Amino acid sequence: MRRRGIWIGLSLAALTAVLLFVLAKGFGRDPHEVPFQLRGKPAPDFTLKRLDTGAPVKLSDLKGKPLVLNFWASWCGPCKVEHPVVTMAARRFGHEVQFYGVVFEDSEENARAFAGPPDPTFPQLLDERSRMAVDYGVTGVPETYFIDAQGIIRDKVAFPIDPRTMMEKLAALRQPAGPVSEVVR
Amino acid sequence: MKALVLGLVLAAYAPQQAGSTPLDPQREARVQALGKQLRCPMCQGLSIADSNASAARAQMDKVRELVAAGRTDEQIRGYFTSRYGEWALLEPEASGMNLLVWFLPLLLLMGGGYAIARTVRRRPASALPAPAPEPEAEKAREPGQAPPDDPWLEAVRAELRR
Amino acid sequence: MISTLGTALVLGGLLAAAFGAVVGIEGGLRHRPGALRIVLAAVTAFLVCMVGANLTMIYALVTHDFSVHYVSLVGSRATPLVYTVVSLWSALEGSILFWGAILAVYVFGFARAHRHDPPTNPLLALGTMLAVGVFFSFLIAGPANPFGRVSPVPPDGPGPNPLLQNHVLMVVHPPMLYLGYVGMVVPFGIAVAALVRGQLGDAWMASLRRWTLIPWTFLSVGIVLGAWWAYAVLGWGGYWAWDPVENASFLPWLTATAFLHSAMVQERRHTLKLWTVSLSLASFLLTILGTFMTRSGVFNSVHSFTQSEIGPTFLVFLGAVLVVSILLIAVRGPLLVPEGSLGGVASRETSILLNNLLFAALTFTVLLGTVFPLVREAFSGVRISVGGPYFNRMAVPLGIAILFLMGVGPSLPWGRASAETVKRQFLVPAGVGAAVVLVCLAAGLRGGLALLTFGLAGFAGTVTLREMFLPVRVRMREQGEPLPRAVFRSATRARRRFGGYVVHLGVVMVFLAVAASQSYVVHTTATLKPGERFQLGSYTVQLAGLRNGVDPHRRWIAADIQVTDGRGRQHALAPRMNFYERSTDPIGSPAIRSAAFEDLYLTLLAFDQATPSASFNAWIFPMVGWIWWSLPLFVFGALFAAWPERRRVRAGAPERLPAPNEARSPGAVA
Repeated sequence: MRRRGIWIGLSLAALTAVLLFVLAKGFGRDPHEVPFQLRGKPAPDFTLKRLDTGAPVKLSDLKGKPLVLNFWASWCGPCKVEHPVVTMAARRFGHEVQFYGVVFEDSEENARAFAGPPDPTFPQLLDERSRMAVDYGVTGVPETYFIDAQGIIRDKVAFPIDPRTMMEKLAALRQPAGPVSEVVR
Repeated sequence: MKALVLGLVLAAYAPQQAGSTPLDPQREARVQALGKQLRCPMCQGLSIADSNASAARAQMDKVRELVAAGRTDEQIRGYFTSRYGEWALLEPEASGMNLLVWFLPLLLLMGGGYAIARTVRRRPASALPAPAPEPEAEKAREPGQAPPDDPWLEAVRAELRR
Repeated sequence: MISTLGTALVLGGLLAAAFGAVVGIEGGLRHRPGALRIVLAAVTAFLVCMVGANLTMIYALVTHDFSVHYVSLVGSRATPLVYTVVSLWSALEGSILFWGAILAVYVFGFARAHRHDPPTNPLLALGTMLAVGVFFSFLIAGPANPFGRVSPVPPDGPGPNPLLQNHVLMVVHPPMLYLGYVGMVVPFGIAVAALVRGQLGDAWMASLRRWTLIPWTFLSVGIVLGAWWAYAVLGWGGYWAWDPVENASFLPWLTATAFLHSAMVQERRHTLKLWTVSLSLASFLLTILGTFMTRSGVFNSVHSFTQSEIGPTFLVFLGAVLVVSILLIAVRGPLLVPEGSLGGVASRETSILLNNLLFAALTFTVLLGTVFPLVREAFSGVRISVGGPYFNRMAVPLGIAILFLMGVGPSLPWGRASAETVKRQFLVPAGVGAAVVLVCLAAGLRGGLALLTFGLAGFAGTVTLREMFLPVRVRMREQGEPLPRAVFRSATRARRRFGGYVVHLGVVMVFLAVAASQSYVVHTTATLKPGERFQLGSYTVQLAGLRNGVDPHRRWIAADIQVTDGRGRQHALAPRMNFYERSTDPIGSPAIRSAAFEDLYLTLLAFDQATPSASFNAWIFPMVGWIWWSLPLFVFGALFAAWPERRRVRAGAPERLPAPNEARSPGAVA
């Protein structure tokens, strides 16, 4: 009877230790963070309409130069905070890197009101029915994608970007990429 | 005027957009079934079929598009896992470490069942001293009544006889 | 001023609990009779302090005193009064404060009930309960302090979460769950005391049973109300998403239910003692784990609060109670020697043992599935999801097996049963079950699992009704009593038995409703302009127009719908989209038309004021209302079973079972 008690006790203790370890490891990580698997993969193609001119813009047109895609929406508070950061980065680095904004789940009028007068260094694109956002694995706004000159997605920032992070990611864009893998279309 | 006011008011809210037109019933059933297996990235644990979010409907549109294009279920799931990883599947794939979550409950059941079978067979069945059923009560009993060794019923009868 | 008063009361509660815990545990271990009065005084002081602190917070909320930290978090001048009071438990710190008050009430109730006991008996139990109280008072006084002072004082606050203001169920669902959760501390205290003493006699079993049944009832109500709220408010058409917090409330319910059955074997046959005590400990442990899951911010859930400092503190407490419980079971468990034995394979106690196993397996599965994403991430860094499809796949077979046992167990006698008995007992119910399946097949219903569930529901339902009314028939035939009197007499003579079977009927209803509402759903989506209509089943749904409105705390747009049902009757429904100030996503309110056997469920997905047009999701859910309508059966059955009988076995009575037929009325056997 005693021996059985010890066995039960030991196995329960082991299970408890595993449980407590696993729960403790959970601290500090964000349970709402969604994994991003497109790092190092070619950016999916898209054709979107420009907000100011209505002209179509294809991803293939933009190859050859690094590209920063910034997803935002007029109803998104943090996007308002982030917008000047991206605009200034576009003005400063627009000759080396292309900056494009993509309107996420929003109406044309609201997007126009938010974006203000058209900015040649930071054109805005309309994502009809979020098809491009789905293709890019967007999980919310604001999100900023960093794509290199060969069209490989290098990184994604899924929070309102600050100047420091922007500089880091832009610098990384200039480095050569690793081996490329296929993405499911 | 009211529309204008409401328009201004609603400017601060994400406009909800409808999904694409459903396919024919057979393929739409496949779309819905797949939708229930895929996790909505901007919701709390719901599937894209269940979620009311406009963005989730956009993902369902994509599933519909892929089904209409003739993709297999495996390929459609692969589309989402290549963007979000295994996280996108609400049912974990049965491989590697995930096998634990699929088989541990089964092992527990089998182990427990075995232990119970041994316990029940090992101990000799000792019945409660069953009060001998009175002959009249035996005849009066119809099929479906409680067996004679139910002490509760006997206790009820004993009390009634007092 | 309020901050100071509140903090002082909380600290007072902490002191009272600490004092009472020390005196209680020491006095219980060393058999000091004089300690009981001291502990009772400490319990009263704890109650006064905790309830006082809660009343102080309610006062601060109602008077919009934004200098108090918690009020500045959830208070708002625009919020209606009801929701202002309710916001006491709408956010983390307030809910822990509320927890403390309920804990104090339960411990006080237990202390009152046992104040005339031989003084050494309740000491250990009370000491343990107060020790738990110490932890929660410490939490309230420290990491989760709602009474901190805010300066400068803001003029207004953000108000409680908009989802919590959408529906009146939000007022009832959390308190019910808290009453269920917190109440598990009492059986925990009793079980710990029993293990330390190394004996669990009948008197303490009765107390343990009753003090589990009370929180069990509240927990059942809380869970069903939560499901109802998810269905009626959240608008995704479901009532159970296997969300981590939903699972957290379900786990202790499972072990408490298993305990209530295992306790019967303990009382009748004096065996399965270790099972019974372990289930009791597990119920409490799972409530602490559940609270951790809800509050720590580690789990992704609809309910999750933000990550806070109480997470690590809670984890430490969880570890401590786990270690204490395991030590007690391993070291003292073997002392709970079975004095009886199990009958054969076909006996009621074996059925209950199998029931224990099934419930334990279901508990383990739900717990494993909820925690597994964390396990994978801890060991391999990969994020996976374990969601509805997994839980449904695992829980459905177990649930069906439990439903089967619900028919088998009550049919079998205690002790050994002959093959003759078994055949006789099962013939009619099995026949009814088969008939149900045939009728469903004839009506055109298909689907193996659903039909199996219906058949087993017929089987278990027949057994339950038979066991309820068999004594009635005996009384009517042999005593010549009229039906109502026979029912009343047989029910009140065996309250636990009758009440338990009433609850079983409720459970059968829930199984039926869940099977029907999951297997035979009809669904469509449509976009309509005013005047257009679509068809769903026997319903015609027509859009009349869109309109909008403004409430003090929200704005909304509603679609006016005219529904014509199969009989030609007209109903007006208005699914809505609500826009709250605090969130950028609108929160939809579904419109539901409940008939006796099905619900028509409409949600407004999108609208275009320009066209104008509106898009809808529409479902027909068969039998779903029966889930909520089973609640009265649960509550009535449980209350009836828990009601104290006129000749109560006092807790001070000798703890060995008296010889049969001695000192007990036969009618009180069950």
